[in-house]
Order: sequence, then C-alpha cells, then structure tokens
Amino acid sequence: MAVDRRETAMPVAAPSTTTEPAAGAAIRQSSLWQDAWRRYIRNRAAVAAGIIFILICIYCLAIPGFWKIPGIWTSYKDYDPNAVDFSQSYAGFSLDHPFSTDKFGRDLFARVAVGGQISIAIGFAATFMILVIGVVYGSLAGFIGGKLDNGMMRFLDALYGLPYLPFAIITTQILSPNGSVSFWSMVVALTIASWFTSARIVRGQIITLKENDYVRAAKAVGARWYRILARHLLPNTLGVLVIAIFLELPGVVLGEAFLSFIGLGINPPTASWGSIAQDGREAYRLHPEVLFIPSLAIATLVLCANFIADGLRDALDPRTRETG
Amino acid sequence: MATFIIRRVVWTIPVILLVIFMTFIMMKQIGGNPFRHTERNVPPAIQANLDRKFHLDKPWYTQYVYYVKDVFTFDLGPSMSQRTRTVNDIVKDGFPKSLKLGILAFLWAVVIGIPLGALAALKPNSIFDYMAMFFSTIGFALPSFFVATLLIYYVALKTGLVPTNGWPEGFFQFDNRIILPSFALGLFPMAYFARLVRGSMLETMQQDYVRTAKAKGLPYKRVVGLHVLRNSMIPAVTATAPLLGLIITGTFIIEIIFSIPGIGRYFVNSVFNRDFSVVMGITVLTSVIIIIANLFVDIMYGVLDPRTREVR
Repeated sequence: MAVDRRETAMPVAAPSTTTEPAAGAAIRQSSLWQDAWRRYIRNRAAVAAGIIFILICIYCLAIPGFWKIPGIWTSYKDYDPNAVDFSQSYAGFSLDHPFSTDKFGRDLFARVAVGGQISIAIGFAATFMILVIGVVYGSLAGFIGGKLDNGMMRFLDALYGLPYLPFAIITTQILSPNGSVSFWSMVVALTIASWFTSARIVRGQIITLKENDYVRAAKAVGARWYRILARHLLPNTLGVLVIAIFLELPGVVLGEAFLSFIGLGINPPTASWGSIAQDGREAYRLHPEVLFIPSLAIATLVLCANFIADGLRDALDPRTRETG
Repeated sequence: MATFIIRRVVWTIPVILLVIFMTFIMMKQIGGNPFRHTERNVPPAIQANLDRKFHLDKPWYTQYVYYVKDVFTFDLGPSMSQRTRTVNDIVKDGFPKSLKLGILAFLWAVVIGIPLGALAALKPNSIFDYMAMFFSTIGFALPSFFVATLLIYYVALKTGLVPTNGWPEGFFQFDNRIILPSFALGLFPMAYFARLVRGSMLETMQQDYVRTAKAKGLPYKRVVGLHVLRNSMIPAVTATAPLLGLIITGTFIIEIIFSIPGIGRYFVNSVFNRDFSVVMGITVLTSVIIIIANLFVDIMYGVLDPRTREVR
C-alpha cells in the first residue's frame, strides 16, 4: 500500500505524454539528468563524498611514478612502490615518507597509491561485470516473464544469501591452478559471488516499466520486442544502474580486501589495499600504521561510495531508498 | 499455514541439492587427484583400488549421488592433509566455536542495533539520531579486519583489560576473551539493524493505523510499543538471513585475527593446504545452514505477516 503511493508519485522514467516524437524523448531524457544533477549538487554530503572519491582516484593514479612532487620525492627510488630498502624499514612518518614505510622499507605513500589502483580497478571491473550480468539476467527474466521469470527468480532465491567468501575463494582457486591469483580471477570471483542484487534490481525496474503506457503504445504500433527493450526499457533502467555502480562498489572493494587480507587474494609483491593490510598484520603491535593506513583508505572509499549512492538515489530514483 | 510451511520445507530440498551440485562441480573444476601429486608413484593396481574406494572410477553424476548421500547422512568424508581426521572431526571441533562467535555477534547487533535504530526513529533529526546514524554509517564502511585490529591495538594492548586473542574451549564457557571478537564481528550487523529499524519505524509511524491509534487517545507508550515497534520489526526479521551470510563470512576474518580455532580458520588453512574435501565440506555446511535459516525466516515472516502466505 505504501509502496503503491510511492510508485504513483515517482518522478522518474514515467513521462505522462506518450504521443511525442522520438526527438522529444531525447530532450526529455537529458532534462531528467539535468534535474538529477541539480538535486545531487544540493546534497552537500554527497558532493563532498564525490570530491573525496575523485581525489582518492587522482592520488592513486598520479602518485606512483608519474611526476615528482617537489619536496617529497628526492629520487626515483622513493616513488617505486616495490623498491626494497631494509635500512628504511618502518622509518616512521616523515616528509620523505608521508605514510611511513613497511618492513621492507617500501614507501607506503607510493604503495598505497599503487594498491589503490588495483583495488579500485578490481572494484570497477567487477562492478561492470556484475551490472552486465545483472542487466542480461534481469531484463531477460523481467521482459519475458511468466514461467521463465519464475524459474530464474527461484534460482536467484536459492543463491541469495549464500556465504559469498567460500564461493569467491573456490572460484579464485579454480581460475589460478598454480596458486598465484591474478587480477582477472579476482574480478571473476567477486562477480560470481555478488551479481544477484543487480539482477533483482534490473528485473524489478523492467517489470515496473513494462506496464507503462508508452510501452503499450509502442507494442500497439507494432514495435518488435528488441526495439521495445532497447529503445524504451533499457534506457530507463540507466538511473538505477548508475546507483547500482556505487551500491556494488563498496562490497566488491571490501571483498577484495578480505580475500587479500587472509592471503588468498592478490599475491605479493603486487600491492592492493588488502594485501598491504596483510603485510601490516605481522607487526601491527609495534607498527600499526602499516595496517591502519590502507584500511583507512578502504574505509574512506567505501564511505564515499555509500554517500554517493545515497545522493544518486535521492537525485535519480527516490523509490528505492529503503532497499539499501 | 500448514500448506505454506510444507511447501516451503519441500522447496528447500532442491535448493540444497543445487547448492551441493554447484559446490561439487566447482570442486571437480579445481581438479587434481589427492593421490597422484605425491612424490612416489602409486602403482596402477593400488591406484585402481583407491579410485574404486572413493568412487573415482565412476562417472561424475554417480559421484555426485554418492556425495549427496554422504552429506545427507552427515558424512563429509576424510581430510586429505590431516590423515587421521575426517572432515566431520574438524567440523565437530571448529563449528561450536564459530557458532558461539556468530551468536554472540548477532546478540550485540540485536541488543545494541535495534534499540539504537528505534530510539533514533522516535526522535528523528535530533542529536541522538545524528549520532546513531553517524555510528551506523561508520560501522557500514569499516572493514572488519580494521575494526578488529583497532580493538586489539587500542583496547587489548593499550589498556590490557582483555587478552588479544584466544577463545574459551567449551561452548558454554565464557570469559573476557569473547568480548572483542564478537563485537568486531557484530559491528556491521549492528549498523545494519540500526539503519533498517530506523527506516522501517519512520515509515510505520506514518501509517494510517498509527494515526488512528493516536487519534483515539492511546497513550504514546502503547502506540509505540504495540503498533509501531511490532510492525517495524518485520524487515529486521527478513534481514536476518542475509545478515547470517555476512556473519559467516566475517567469522573467517575474525577467527584468523583473534586466533580462534573455528571452521573459518580451518577453511582458509585448508585452501592453503589444497585440502579440498575440508573446503567442500565447510562450504556445503555453511550454505545448508543459511538455507535452513532462510526457511525459518520465511516461516517467521508468514507468521508475522499473513499476507505473504498467499502470495507464495
């Protein structure tokens, strides 16, 4: 009942006039995004989160080896994230090493940046695959409906809520028979372990959209099913997909960190935030910073992604507020 | 109601079979014969005997049937790296400890998370509300290994009030070693519950029947206690099953950090030792637990909200 009220009041993807030509639809679509942008900008927490998120990405991309920051880097060796220098092990915080160094004397400022590249890249790659699978599976189930939909959703129900870590670990083991876990096997493992939610979201959206008048009108004038799907349904799921990026990202980044932290993820000496934290675990009683700094980086990224997702949700699709 | 429960119980059987099947296929994919990659060559005759003993000479679907039969008779097979122990022994040893850790973490979540969310919802946009939601947001974002090491570093090491690791042996044995691990594991569900209960209470309080209850002059306590709280607990009950999955995932990390000999730690060690019968056994076990928990949650949901019975 409450849901019904919200659905009729929803401002998204349901233009009341359906007789306008296709060119008009394009204009309306862009104004939807402009509206959303204006709403997003007004949300201060979301804007701050977005700025911090971008700053983290810039830091990760810019620091390792791209240019010398005056006063901080004195030689190339300092910004090589894998350069071992035992005389510098656990050097403490200083201008040379703003984030201190680890056991092997590797500069953590550079290493956290490189690790961030891997963590964020895995995050976005897995999120992208999750969304692709989600769109295919969800739109298939939602669009065809009937028995197929029922069966596919029962299958999802069966998989839903299974402990994802064992399955992710087994998948990485399958994909890396010689024991060294690669970037792509992590991406695939995390995707397999967490594609269910996005499939559900897409299916729900498609089913709601299918009942809209403009879809009926398109059917009435004889549009083929692929045209309805490609022209009318999928573009209108874009909003929830944009939100879903930032809903899935934290889970994937945390999943990568968990796997790497227990030593079953990215292999050393390749850095990821999880594997740096794992390096820090052996001496955290004396040098907690080696563990705390990458953990804080993960926490900040996850926090930002959560705020961005909240902001996008308020801006794009107020209905789904309670599903997070 | 009876048909609903029966239909729901019968439905779990194919789900369990499917999950066992998936685990089985994944294990086949990992491949490797536990007897073949040893240093010495196993003579063909012995190899054939071993294959026959473990049904490896049969086609995969027959092996699957054997495995399902074993699982349903609670026999998870021998461990490959620990020759004297079976997977059952390992589960018997580790599972009670993990179970206790999980229950305690869940208790933290219920005892702190639900009241926090409820109080925040009763005074929306107050300072308490903001603090509760800030706490919940932080609890959402911090990785559990970070929480655990923070607690060890600042609580156990700096104050020395509690030990940094270890776990009481018996299931009903409690001492100060249980506090930190269960809190570290319970922080995420706590934050989750707080947020969920707050949202659902705010929504319930706008319902017509709450307004009616207020209008007919029921005292505030009675409105909240009888009408709002009971109805806003339903999402919390539904969220229990996915949370259980997260708690089980969390035990893997918490057990390693606090050196608790539970199944999570055995699982990770077995992956390192490529002891795949243990890996498979623990995966199947945890999955079946989640499926059964889902079953209970659905039945509870049917009891709490009769409308859901007809839909299914």
